[in-house]
Amino acid sequence: MAPQARIGLIVTAIGFFAGIWLFLAPFIVEYQKVGQDWVDATKNDLWTGGALIAISALTLILFSAFALRDAARAAEQEGAAELEES
Amino acid sequence: MAKYVIGATGALLGALAGVWLMLAPFALAYQGSGANWADPTYVDFWTGLPLLVVSAAGLILYVSGLVEELRHRGIMRRPYTAPAGQPQAPGPPQGNASASENNMEQILLPLVTAMLKDMQERDRERDGARGGTVADVRQTPNAGEEGSVRR
Repeated sequence: MAPQARIGLIVTAIGFFAGIWLFLAPFIVEYQKVGQDWVDATKNDLWTGGALIAISALTLILFSAFALRDAARAAEQEGAAELEES
Repeated sequence: MAKYVIGATGALLGALAGVWLMLAPFALAYQGSGANWADPTYVDFWTGLPLLVVSAAGLILYVSGLVEELRHRGIMRRPYTAPAGQPQAPGPPQGNASASENNMEQILLPLVTAMLKDMQERDRERDGARGGTVADVRQTPNAGEEGSVRR
């Protein structure tokens, strides 16, 4: 895997954790009291955080899946080349 | 290749989420303009700004990975590289019109010289052929073979 892709994956993971932080922030920073109606800021943070978690998770899963597929193809091609040589 | 496109799309959406987080307190009006920032505004802004920066960096990285992959497959060429086997002619840098004109002259000079040489050789051959026919014409009456067929 290219070094850019590795750092890109780390960046995506940071986005995932930022989503978790946004999801929990209203209750950690206590601008949303437990048991009360959600204020606008809470709704915004929960929706944005949830979307960010979903986007980052989907990106991580799909990126890993395609990277594994590419690696498998490369291994198959190498094996075929070795067989032809021998 | 698809993995880089997916990564870049994810990073772009992350950057857009960061922009939205920075604007949301004002767009949704839970932060009054001119008033001191409330806790939700601090949280959203200082989460949105790093998210925007990090996602933009990720986007650049994924796109550079994609470009590298395309170059590796031969779909894209590296910019400002001469094709293999074609050495560049020495001369002044091709920045202005006179420099490129000089370069063109240098390229055309051997061609024009070869053409001139060829033309001169043809002229010489033609002159030689003419000299030969004139000598033949002059030789006929001296031979004293008038009226006979010459083989």
